[in-house]
Amino acid sequence: MSYSKFDLTFKIGQYLDRHLVFPLLEFLAAKETYDQSELLQAKLEILSKTNMIDYVIDIRKMLYPDEDTPEEIKSRRGVVLSQLQELQDAVEPVLRLMQRDDVMKTVETMRDPKTLINYLTTNKEFEFRIDMIDSMYRLAKYRYECGNYVESASYLYFCQLVMSPTEKNYLPVLWGKLASEILVQNWDGALDDLNKLREFIDNGAGGATATNMQALQQRTWLVHWSLFVFFNHAKGRDLIIETFLYRPLYLNAIQTMCPHILRYLATAVIINRSRRNALKDLVKVIQQEAYTYRDPITEFIEHLYVNFDFEAARRKLNQCQAVLSTDFFLIACLEEFVENARLMIFETFCRIHQVISIGMLAENLSMQPEEAECWIVNLIRNARLDAKIDSKLGHVVMGAQPLSPYQQLVERIDSLSVRSEALTSLVERKQKVRTDIRWGGQEF
Amino acid sequence: MSRFFATGTDSESETSSEEEHVVRAPAPVYTFSDDEEETKRVVRSMKEKRYEELEGFIHSIRNHRKIKDFSSALASFEELQRAYTRASSVIQKEENGIAPRFFIRALVELEDWVTSAWNDRESRKAMSKGNSKALTSLRQKLRKYTKEFDSEIVKFRDNPDLPDDDEERKEEPSSDESDEEEKVKEKPKVRRSPEPQRRPAPQEDESSDSMDWGSSSSESSSSSDDETRGAATLRERFLKRATERDDDEEGDRRRARRERRDRVGKVSKKDQVDDGGEWETVRKGAATSDKPKMFAKDSDIDAALVVKKLGEVSAARGRKRTDRRAQLELLHELRTVAAQHNLGDALQLKLRAATVAALFDYNPKVSDAMKPEYWSRLVENVDHMVTILLAHEDMMLSESITEETEQLVTAPFQVRGSLLIALERLDDEFTKLLKECDPHSNEYVERLKDEVRVSALIDRVCQVVERDGTPQEICRAYLRKIDHLYYKFDPRAVKKDQPPSEETSIKKMEKFCKYIYANDESDRLRTRAILSHIYHHALHDNWFQARDLLLMSHLQENVQHSDPSTQILYNRTMANLGLCAFRRGNVKEAHGCLAELMMTGKPKELLAQGLLPQRQHERSKEQEKIEKQRQMPFHMHINLELLECVYLVSAMLIEIPYMAAHEFDARRRMISKTFYQNLRASERQALVGPPESMREHAVAAARAMRRGDWRACLNFIVNEKMNAKVWDLMVGADNVRAMLGRLIREESLRTYLFTYAHVYASLSLRSMADMFEMPRQRVHSLVSKMIINEELLASLDDPSECAILHRSEPTRMQALALQLADKVGNLVDSNERIFEKQGSFFQRGGAPRGEGRQRDRPREGWGRRQRNRRRDDDRTHED
Repeated sequence: MSYSKFDLTFKIGQYLDRHLVFPLLEFLAAKETYDQSELLQAKLEILSKTNMIDYVIDIRKMLYPDEDTPEEIKSRRGVVLSQLQELQDAVEPVLRLMQRDDVMKTVETMRDPKTLINYLTTNKEFEFRIDMIDSMYRLAKYRYECGNYVESASYLYFCQLVMSPTEKNYLPVLWGKLASEILVQNWDGALDDLNKLREFIDNGAGGATATNMQALQQRTWLVHWSLFVFFNHAKGRDLIIETFLYRPLYLNAIQTMCPHILRYLATAVIINRSRRNALKDLVKVIQQEAYTYRDPITEFIEHLYVNFDFEAARRKLNQCQAVLSTDFFLIACLEEFVENARLMIFETFCRIHQVISIGMLAENLSMQPEEAECWIVNLIRNARLDAKIDSKLGHVVMGAQPLSPYQQLVERIDSLSVRSEALTSLVERKQKVRTDIRWGGQEF
Repeated sequence: MSRFFATGTDSESETSSEEEHVVRAPAPVYTFSDDEEETKRVVRSMKEKRYEELEGFIHSIRNHRKIKDFSSALASFEELQRAYTRASSVIQKEENGIAPRFFIRALVELEDWVTSAWNDRESRKAMSKGNSKALTSLRQKLRKYTKEFDSEIVKFRDNPDLPDDDEERKEEPSSDESDEEEKVKEKPKVRRSPEPQRRPAPQEDESSDSMDWGSSSSESSSSSDDETRGAATLRERFLKRATERDDDEEGDRRRARRERRDRVGKVSKKDQVDDGGEWETVRKGAATSDKPKMFAKDSDIDAALVVKKLGEVSAARGRKRTDRRAQLELLHELRTVAAQHNLGDALQLKLRAATVAALFDYNPKVSDAMKPEYWSRLVENVDHMVTILLAHEDMMLSESITEETEQLVTAPFQVRGSLLIALERLDDEFTKLLKECDPHSNEYVERLKDEVRVSALIDRVCQVVERDGTPQEICRAYLRKIDHLYYKFDPRAVKKDQPPSEETSIKKMEKFCKYIYANDESDRLRTRAILSHIYHHALHDNWFQARDLLLMSHLQENVQHSDPSTQILYNRTMANLGLCAFRRGNVKEAHGCLAELMMTGKPKELLAQGLLPQRQHERSKEQEKIEKQRQMPFHMHINLELLECVYLVSAMLIEIPYMAAHEFDARRRMISKTFYQNLRASERQALVGPPESMREHAVAAARAMRRGDWRACLNFIVNEKMNAKVWDLMVGADNVRAMLGRLIREESLRTYLFTYAHVYASLSLRSMADMFEMPRQRVHSLVSKMIINEELLASLDDPSECAILHRSEPTRMQALALQLADKVGNLVDSNERIFEKQGSFFQRGGAPRGEGRQRDRPREGWGRRQRNRRRDDDRTHED
């Protein structure tokens, strides 16, 4: 449990919605890193500002089995229910409208909120009024607070359709939609919302990001919330690199506000074999931020690509496994991480070495020698490595041939003659054209 | 002016004195500066001086004209020309470059005269040879010269009767005294529009006179006994002055009368003109110097009366003839009177504020420092003001309060004035004082002790401003505080085990700067605060904070648009950032920070730590003055030798391995020009002696490193001499030395590998570790890095721990061939470029075919190179 010092739940929690923290806490509870009752206490505290009364009662029972639920909570339950009913009544027509598939289809095809509202209000049959949008928004929020994320998401979807981006509630609607989609684990929807939200923030529309400070804050939140999406969606692994590393605004936000996100970025780069070129940029960022944030994962990269200290990298890799297994977001890619990290070590090794003893290699990769040999054989067979195994000595011999100076020279001057020839012919042609004209002039 | 009386021309009336004198003896304008010094010196503006000079020459030309002395006229004209060029800067400033009218008039007159003389052939023949020669050359010169003023002369000729200075000056002697006085005060205006100006002057005097008379009529009747006492003090004063004149003849009564008028604050001009006898006494004691009685003994002294008095006293402020010392004394007396009668702290505050203003006035020259004793009094007074303000919660001192809305008697008190401006000027004066004395003398140390007082005062003023200032004012006060804080090293701040509650200077800086970041409206304060903040962080080895602050503020991009003093601060900050980076072992960054400063070869000027003599063009007086004002006081200087040494050592650590790696590279760039030049100069010498100076040590070390001899290199860099000169000046000198040892070993190893790799077939890592006394792990890591970066064509043989070198390092022959290939490549490139440039020319001839492809390529290559360079530049600053 010594890895709890690398636990980022607390840091990340600061930037998440209370509802989004639950999954993290549940995960921690399952891992038994912390004291169970403490966790329950924390949950209770989070719940205190929501309307998930039933859940509160459950947890209280777990925490204090011999106590009765206080009256206050029971009465609050009633209040919450009645309020919910009230809100629901206010938007009754809309709810009915949403039940009708044909209407929703036409609604969805309309791109412009104005024409949409026009369509809804003019059509008497819908009984739609403008102020219902607000009520709808409130209902969605209430639903969300009660933990009915599915309903909340669908209500917010409607809000999003009818609201124009300049309205003041538009940003909260987007955030709410994203949170709901995440909580119902609808990753495709969440990714869409994420992109919408990002565009909205980056464009600074609707005065949402009036000052740089606000924009920075919004981006920081977005960075944290997006972790849920990126590590669960199929395309997330590419997107996380795109967003965090190659969008200067977000990289900036990470560097100034939350360098701990580098862990996720580093992991994403490591497990994404096709994005090896991102490593260079990542190393730069990690080095730059090394003084504010370091954990086994960033240190692993540093050791491997800055110091070329394989021994230390190996040690860090072991630590990484432990850290990954206690991280809510990363636990899913633990296997992949280890595999790729090994490969990285080995690749670097091969680039430097000519002859490697299998024994040492196995040690560096934390494998059994036989296992390592098998692994290398596989690599060679898949033509990813130009090497031979000297089984007698237990060595791997690299087959790379260095470029001779002669070849270098040839390469360098190869194109020169072609280029010069082309140039001369061009000049000659022009010269000819000019003399031709002169000749012509003389003749006539 | 009193110089006249010292020479005894007492029959002269005062007003005519100055101009007449100049007219009569035009040439020796400077000669009387000597007697000026003996007596009380009257400071005239540059403009007056220059104009007088001009007028003198004009007058002498006129005289020569009368007697038709052409050769003398020619001489005077040349003088005049010279004088005018001298005055041109003043004219530029005061008159927007338009030549003064009296000057044009003189030119026109001279021209007319010369033309008439030229046309009069008869008399020209009769002229003496010398004279006619002079006439010819004068005519030519004049023609040439007047061309410059063509437009003005035409204008003048159109309207020659407009009054100009000259006329005015002629009138002056006859005009009365008050006129003169007014003129002194508002000279610039007079020059441009003398007519309308003359009207209000007497009026003003009259009205104020009558008012004053009214107010003091009650006192005058009952002041007989004050008068005698006043006369006694007056006499003492005269005796002390040791003037030869005996003024006891003056009747007591008369003196008393004059005195009473003086006390009223204005000298009635008519009386002055009437009885010339009184004139001399006024001169003697200097107009308001005598100590008059403030109030009649039995009159009721209340706040209103005192304020009135104060108004009278301060009305005389800024006039040419007011004795500033007397003013101070008057104010002091007023204060005691106010204190005796318990007129309240608000009034005291007002009087103090007036005293402060008078003290600032005491020093007539802005560029020179005031006298230490007066400065000391200034501090006392401001301090008192702060004490009063702090003692009274309900007292406001603000510029927004007008004279009318002042509330001196009842709470809440409202007083007009500004503490902050007083403080800022006081602080500036303090800096000036420091700059004035020799930094290596004890005097400087004595002066510097006052810094504590200033700092304490600023602290107290901050309290006041925090209480009732606007955010902007608080920012200004804080910035002053920062100015006194940022360059000081606080040993508590770098201690590891400091208690968290301790108020280190870093925390203070943080507090003030954050306030300014949040509340400042003018960008200048914020910029300065950021720079000071970075400086302070750098001073305390907080490299990352300092770096991040610099990068986030984006100051590097726009600092060149700011004012010089901010740029100086920026340079100082960069210098310190460089030192900090070096101490932290970030050699590349250190080099990047310092390169800009050292590249120019004049870090001294860039850091405002002294003026360098300029070879190409002389500075004008003004420019020198301005530059002197910008200089930093000595105790804030950054050690230039240290700076240079750090720069050279970092340059060495970067440049030498680079040189070794790119020995045969045709397109090698110099990383540090300064360092390179030093090295080249030393290599050119036939015989190199043992190093003496710091620079020689650095160069010798660099040469040792080129051979891969790390031990010699380290010995050159770290030895007793260098310790004393450079390293011991750093905080954590031992760490720095250890860091140097480590870096020198590493870079020497790299250099060694670059230089000698081609003579090895394989290199054992172990033996290399022994050679360079480094841990094997580190050697392995270094070699690996070089292999990865393709700097070293080798690969490691793991079982034997050897680096097997591939025989692909080019031989000398091959390297030359590669170089040649590169150069030929360049040639083709440039051919293509030329062709592209001429493309348009060829195009006119027709046949634009097949060109597109050819045109694109070189341009692309060109762009890439530029881009690369920019990236390199960025890197030096940013990573």
